[in-house]
Amino acid sequence: MKIISVLLVLVASCLSGYMADDEGEPRLLASKNILNQYLVENKDLTVEYKIFNIGGSAAQNVRLEDAGFPEADFQLVAGNVQATWERIAPNTNVSHSVIVRPVSSGYYNFTAAEISYSAGADAKKRQVGYTSSPGEGGIVNFKEFNRRFSPHVVDWCVFAIMTLPSLGIPFLLWWSSKSKYDSKPKRS
Amino acid sequence: MKTFLGRFILLLLLVLPTTVMIFESGASGKFVALGDDSMEGEIDGEDDDDEGVVETDDATGDDGEQAVTETEKPEKEEEEEVDTSLKPSQDVDATILFTKPVNTNDLPSGKPVRFLVGFKNNGEKDFTVSSLETSFRYPQDYSFFIQNFTTAVYNQLVEPNKEATFEYGFTPSEAFNSRPFGLSILLNYKDNDGNEYQSAVFNETINVVEPDEGLDGETFFLYLFLVAIVVLLGIGAQQLLTTFGKKHLGKGKAAPKVEMGTQKTDVDYSWLPQETLQEINKSPKGSPRGGSPRKRKSKRGSGEE
Repeated sequence: MKIISVLLVLVASCLSGYMADDEGEPRLLASKNILNQYLVENKDLTVEYKIFNIGGSAAQNVRLEDAGFPEADFQLVAGNVQATWERIAPNTNVSHSVIVRPVSSGYYNFTAAEISYSAGADAKKRQVGYTSSPGEGGIVNFKEFNRRFSPHVVDWCVFAIMTLPSLGIPFLLWWSSKSKYDSKPKRS
Repeated sequence: MKTFLGRFILLLLLVLPTTVMIFESGASGKFVALGDDSMEGEIDGEDDDDEGVVETDDATGDDGEQAVTETEKPEKEEEEEVDTSLKPSQDVDATILFTKPVNTNDLPSGKPVRFLVGFKNNGEKDFTVSSLETSFRYPQDYSFFIQNFTTAVYNQLVEPNKEATFEYGFTPSEAFNSRPFGLSILLNYKDNDGNEYQSAVFNETINVVEPDEGLDGETFFLYLFLVAIVVLLGIGAQQLLTTFGKKHLGKGKAAPKVEMGTQKTDVDYSWLPQETLQEINKSPKGSPRGGSPRKRKSKRGSGEE
């Protein structure tokens, strides 16, 4: 009898464990994306993190940490590279944004951030994961970006001044001949 | 028969180390039986030859010098005939989530489709996720490729008990509108020992649909063109009606025009030189340009109209 009961308990625990894996575990998928179309030094760069819970139960104590923006290369403008959520319900998603500013130009490999969460309030074992990595991106030099995209107001003004002679000389010629006929009185 | 048996037993003893190796490698265990069958067949057919000439039984690609590799080859060929594709690893759990568009099997053409692939390492060893392949296949036959999208290379290391997420995006071409396709998303990864695995995270039939554009330049000008045609028809009809009406009704109504002649209008004489003016003022009849009103009218008539 003892053996049978022990066996039954073992089977029950195995089964319950199996069922818990199927339904009751949270599973988070996290993506990290850079929203800028152009990455320019000394100009803001927006990073968006999205965390989706595709598991069967809520994820507790979710922590997102991104060590991929060291102080030497990036200046933090807005947001925090670390974020926590107490609870992410199943079949929901959350998002988080950070704005940084690259200090220098060149190619930079944007690596994945780390997220960690636990299945239950007891926090026995924290599950650690990586977000998706945006990959390598090129940070354009500020001068080159400006050369292409700034309004070039000074350049246009100089251009306008330089076109004045080619417009002004014919105008002066016409004006001088016109004024001759204006001042003469009508013949009687 | 006894010579047959004796030869057979001798061969088996030689082959024993390789069969033990095959049993050990685990995953290909189920193919051992087939391999043995092929070996037996070949031995029976070539009983005149020595054991060492077994290697010539194999049809192609057999260049091994050692007996071990040679006898392995027929089993391998048998394996390849049955299953050449890579299998998923038991220690890995791969899932997929479409972030754009969500929860539908209809993908709008010309718009980007994005999804996240989750990779969970439940084993004890490190895994390296190499790449992700996406392709459109023929829905009735998944081995026929219609379009192969760019393979994303990740080469990311995932330690034991850790997860990783990979993002991928593609845009279905507008040439594939209103057709069903088999979308196949395969994740390639390998473990520390160099064994390669592949998980099919998505292998279902989807539809490529035309996106709902709404108002755009083409449709706007199309409607404008149709309205203009309707207005043109209306004007045409109106013109027809008026000419029709004039024909039937308008014959007697229009009064006959009577020529009245030129009246005395204000003529500007200021440009004439002084002498001519004086002459005109003296004798109104004797003006140099005189003449009867009729003559003057006829002279002017050519220029007036």
